[in-house]
Amino acid sequence: MRSGASALTRFRSIALGGMSLADYGFYILCATAVVLLLAEAVRDTTNFAQTLVFGLTQGAIFALIALGYTMVYGIIELINFAHGDVFTLSAYIGTTILGLFTVTEGSFTALNLVALVIIFPVVMLIMGGINVAIERIAYRPLRSAPRLAPLITAIGMSFFLEGVMFLWKGPATVHFPNILPQWTTTVGGVFFGLKDIFVIITAAILVALLAFFINRTRLGKAMRATAQDRDAAQLMGIDINRTIAATFFIGALLAGAGGVIYGLYYNTVYYQLGFRTGLIAFTAAVFGGIGNIPGAAIGGLIIGLTAAFSDSYIGGKWTTVVIFGILIGVLVFRPTGLLGMRVPEK
Amino acid sequence: MVRARGLVVLTVAIMVAVACGNTGGGGGGGSKGTIKIGSDFPVCTTGGQSTSNGVKFAVDQKNAAGGVEGFNIAYQSFDDCRQGSYNADAGVANVRQMLDDSAFMGMIGPYNSAVAKAEIPIAAPKNFVMISPANTNPCLTKDIASCSTAYHPQDLRAGNPNNYWRVVTTDDYQGPAMADYMYKQANIKTVAILDDSTVFGVGISGAFEDEFKKLGGTVVKHQEYKKDQQGTQFQSLLQSMHTASALYVGGTDDQNICIPRAQMKQIGWTAPFGGGDGIETTDCIDQASGNETGILATSAGADATQVPGAKDTIAKFRQAFTGANDFGGYTMQAYDAANILMTAIGNAIKANGGSMPTRKQVRDAMAKITTFQGVIGNYGFDQNGDTTLKIVSIYEVKTGLSDTDVKASTGVCGKKLANACFVWKTQFDFAKSS
Repeated sequence: MRSGASALTRFRSIALGGMSLADYGFYILCATAVVLLLAEAVRDTTNFAQTLVFGLTQGAIFALIALGYTMVYGIIELINFAHGDVFTLSAYIGTTILGLFTVTEGSFTALNLVALVIIFPVVMLIMGGINVAIERIAYRPLRSAPRLAPLITAIGMSFFLEGVMFLWKGPATVHFPNILPQWTTTVGGVFFGLKDIFVIITAAILVALLAFFINRTRLGKAMRATAQDRDAAQLMGIDINRTIAATFFIGALLAGAGGVIYGLYYNTVYYQLGFRTGLIAFTAAVFGGIGNIPGAAIGGLIIGLTAAFSDSYIGGKWTTVVIFGILIGVLVFRPTGLLGMRVPEK
Repeated sequence: MVRARGLVVLTVAIMVAVACGNTGGGGGGGSKGTIKIGSDFPVCTTGGQSTSNGVKFAVDQKNAAGGVEGFNIAYQSFDDCRQGSYNADAGVANVRQMLDDSAFMGMIGPYNSAVAKAEIPIAAPKNFVMISPANTNPCLTKDIASCSTAYHPQDLRAGNPNNYWRVVTTDDYQGPAMADYMYKQANIKTVAILDDSTVFGVGISGAFEDEFKKLGGTVVKHQEYKKDQQGTQFQSLLQSMHTASALYVGGTDDQNICIPRAQMKQIGWTAPFGGGDGIETTDCIDQASGNETGILATSAGADATQVPGAKDTIAKFRQAFTGANDFGGYTMQAYDAANILMTAIGNAIKANGGSMPTRKQVRDAMAKITTFQGVIGNYGFDQNGDTTLKIVSIYEVKTGLSDTDVKASTGVCGKKLANACFVWKTQFDFAKSS
């Protein structure tokens, strides 16, 4: 183990003209991907642009979920496995709330708009509350326990939430009302609709709001301080429990919005959806640099694009292999992720 | 304390026993004793539940008419669902449970070919009759060329006499029927294929592909996915296939195979969408939300609603089972299968001088049934256990149906969109053409 680790460190520290060998490897990897994609873009521009649109919408949703993983990991070094299921649960709650309105599917009415305006804050707040409760029940009592203990309770929470959804709506796919405007257009052979624009813009606004919150508010500052050094933050008078609860709350707000956006866009969810989506979002967080908020957003987008290009150019059965292959490649050459890790100092 | 716990266990055990006893077939029937038949379906799905209803209906009818040769028939429905979809291990556990109870003389099922593949090897040595109303994988009975990459029927039986029959025909007819329909009748010359990587999905899409190419058509792309890795995001997969003038899907609704139908609309691809009997379901119509119209599905059997003699039985069934999703594409097949099994049991009782037969006697009696007058037609079985009926029906989803049209349809309609139903379109009879 030791010799292996030191061999890896040696490998990374070999310098060549100002850059380490690992950096060369990383840039070669990136350049290869870009060249291959550019070749496809030249070969069939329309197809490339179309796949790009799908990749961006997919990636925007992954980014929203990845933010929740990265924030929690950044502050308490816990891989919150239940986060993907929090995302799915919000779609379940969203479709239930929409069921209370007599929304019109397939066209856009005034009532649809009202439902749309109401559903986002309501679902986000409910999910925020649920996630704070999850933290209080399953994670806080174990905060000083060995690291494995909360990891196991997180897995347990994940199965618990899946079980709740299974018992609630059954095993089959659950329909989510299709209430967005159905307007679509074709620009230069690329087909897209208001739905695609809606997903990308909503996600961008949420990420911008999060960035503002983290960087410009008192609570955001407290979160950054806690993430940097919990003990020192506590000595400075920061209420650690409250700050960590706030982190879970905000993470769930984003996952809640992500779940509703996912439902509005794809119109079908099922109780196990969170497992796969969560795993990919977590990968995106690691890819971008765990604990790093812009990293998670960019990681989500890149993973979404990778999935789309792989589905389209290589084949659906290879997509998971491609995503995780890239992850392994990136981590070997750059273990801190694209934009660098930000985790508590020891 | 120990004693108290023992008492609790005993109480629970008695309650379970009583509860299980009550799930059996209706009262009445004969007085000589009780013979049990089971069924094994994924009853967590609408398809599995509506199929189980067919067995229950047949058994109730038989008992009301005096049972079988003086014996009362008790029916128990087993569920092979695990976490929302069929599971071969669950099916095996169910069959073992039936084998352990000597009153079980046979079973109807299973619903999914992958489950049958796991169950036949444990049921065959015990001469336990299985009659499936829905299995369509050819390799369960016939050793055709493509079985060399899957499994061989003789390996499943391991030298034991055949214990497995089915009242539907096989995917090597189902896939080609859709290929014939698309190429010859709908005049489609290029297709793309998407399968869900399951035994069923790969088999049926392969049979479709072979036939479509043989007819002279072009397969633009054949993509595969796995449910647990794909989620519900299919646009990019569809994008790579959208130059084709139709999409054929090999798979089942519990693997999300109909979600691509909804997303075809999202990527602006208007083309026919066809598949096997795994998509002739309520869940499929729900998954296709917003793009239900025109989904094409084959079913490996004659449509009971198109057989004049079946009208009466269906009407009676609907009086007994009034739920919107109680009747499905395999309800009448299950009804026939149950009646065939009860006929075999009756013959075995007669052969045994009127007393309780053994499983081997039931199996032997079953092997002797060469003609049977069922609601889905008059047919027999070949020595492999396959039906002589080689009819494949084609259905299409129509939306905006009136209430009378909904009643006249297959009864397989959307949960959300109750007036979107599969309607019989045409049928291919491969027994006549070959």
